[in-house]
Amino acid sequence: MDALLQVEGLAKRFGGLDAVFDLDFTVEAGEIMGMIGPNGAGKTTVFNLLTGFLEPTKGDITFKGENIVNRKPNQIVDRGISRTFQIVRPFLNMTVLENVLVPLQAPKNRKVNKGRMENQRRAAGLLEQVELADKMLLLAADLSHGDLKRLEVARSLAAKPDLLLLDEPFSGLATKEISALSDLIKNLNDDGLTIILIEHKLRELMKLVKRVITLNFGVKIADGTPEEIAKNEAVIEAYLGKGGERFVTS
Amino acid sequence: MDRLHSLEESLPSSPLHWKRFRVHFAIIIFLLFIPAFVKSIYVIDLLIVCNVWAVFLSSWDLLTGYTGQISFGHSLFIGGGAYTAGFLSFYLGVPFWVTIPLGGCVAAILGFGLGMPALRLKGPYLALATFAASAVLHGLSAVFWEYSGGEDGLYGVAPLTRDYVVKYYWSVILMVLCSGFLLFLVNSQYGLILKSIREDESGAEASGINVTKYKVLTFVMSGFLAGVAGAFYGHAQMHVGTDLLSLHLSIMVVLMSVAGGMGTIVGPIVAGYLLILLNEWLRVIEVVRVLIYSFSVVLILLFIPKGIVPTIISGVEALINKMKFQSGS
Repeated sequence: MDALLQVEGLAKRFGGLDAVFDLDFTVEAGEIMGMIGPNGAGKTTVFNLLTGFLEPTKGDITFKGENIVNRKPNQIVDRGISRTFQIVRPFLNMTVLENVLVPLQAPKNRKVNKGRMENQRRAAGLLEQVELADKMLLLAADLSHGDLKRLEVARSLAAKPDLLLLDEPFSGLATKEISALSDLIKNLNDDGLTIILIEHKLRELMKLVKRVITLNFGVKIADGTPEEIAKNEAVIEAYLGKGGERFVTS
Repeated sequence: MDRLHSLEESLPSSPLHWKRFRVHFAIIIFLLFIPAFVKSIYVIDLLIVCNVWAVFLSSWDLLTGYTGQISFGHSLFIGGGAYTAGFLSFYLGVPFWVTIPLGGCVAAILGFGLGMPALRLKGPYLALATFAASAVLHGLSAVFWEYSGGEDGLYGVAPLTRDYVVKYYWSVILMVLCSGFLLFLVNSQYGLILKSIREDESGAEASGINVTKYKVLTFVMSGFLAGVAGAFYGHAQMHVGTDLLSLHLSIMVVLMSVAGGMGTIVGPIVAGYLLILLNEWLRVIEVVRVLIYSFSVVLILLFIPKGIVPTIISGVEALINKMKFQSGS
């Protein structure tokens, strides 16, 4: 497999604090990878660095062979990295359908833009995929938290990503909703989409991913399969606690 | 397949479909017939002012109501356009059909100049920056009073025409072209982008939208339209003065637009007509005119914070739904 994303020596310093320090990892095309660690470990900072919302203090991010450091967020979306946010950022006073129509106006999609009706069909198709089609004419402000999470997934999919970054997609969701979203993520990956997930709901995460990297105080402390991570002493001490294996039992 | 078919059927029709603009067309036709039954020069002149203000307000609405860039400095664009036309006409004798577009272009450049630094500012900081920028032009007019005419401004700007009815029709054309363009813009897919920037800039960026480009472009377009209207106003009044660069003007633009309903284009236009006409009507009780006028605006903001037009629309929709429900039962 080819390395879709290669991160080398990535660092981000806020004043006197190293939020991310000397981080290296690669993601292969078609892979689904988890990123875990305690609160404040630097996971969301890594997502912000990968998507151009923050500029790294040093290091390189190579995506599809191109160094994307210092690119703006919209340019990175154009190159094929799309994301969701830990705290959802919907366009509240726009309809659910309009929320998904916005990324269809991005330059990448505009090249194949076939007019509003065609875009609406595409957006409705994506909403159907996340089971929100029945609510497409409601304002986003009228959706439940779970629906907003799924709307964010639909919106990021509309940008036609090659790499999808999901920041705590299961937080605040009921068990049934987690199960549905989990199935959707698995299907997307089965269809060839490369995915990195940040998640604290480890049982659900470990079922989904083939590989997990663990951060603590901005430093990568482990990288391996869910089974390896569950047994890793450093991860157990920093995050999982004793009996980490319970997260990988089905 | 059935599911897909039913989904397609429930998709909204294009917001640019002509049927959605039937009321707008009816109002335009009404405006065109006004000179046929209104013979008062005073009333016609007042309606010309309303038509020009409609462009001031709707161009502000594009910037603030649609894109969320809070501006307290719209007089920068209005006055910039007006003074450009005034100087060109007064000193160089340039005809109005050249000065008006040039006034718009200068205001567009001012929009670009204001839009670039404004990218780093948000909310009240942006509002203060726009306010300060308009104060700079006001200050310049005082510094170069020999040329600008100082507080008195420039009298003797060439008129558009001596015929009031023709001037009225020119103002209707200006209003219809500018507000028509704005309605087309905000109902197009471009409008979706502007609204997404207003709602959440980070969300828009994460959707692949070049927020910087669209914000600057909106400043430029809003500036151009306000500048064109300002230049037209200068020729219509045969005078440009510092009132067109004043904070008072900027605040009136904000107040009227909010009262009409931000983010609707039509709302600020309607509020412009209503409040300007109310202000003039109250001149019969001049002593308490400002008091009653201000109190009316406060009441509107207090009791219908969504604005006049959105409140009327939702009221009519609720009534129609009620009637449908009753006839169904």
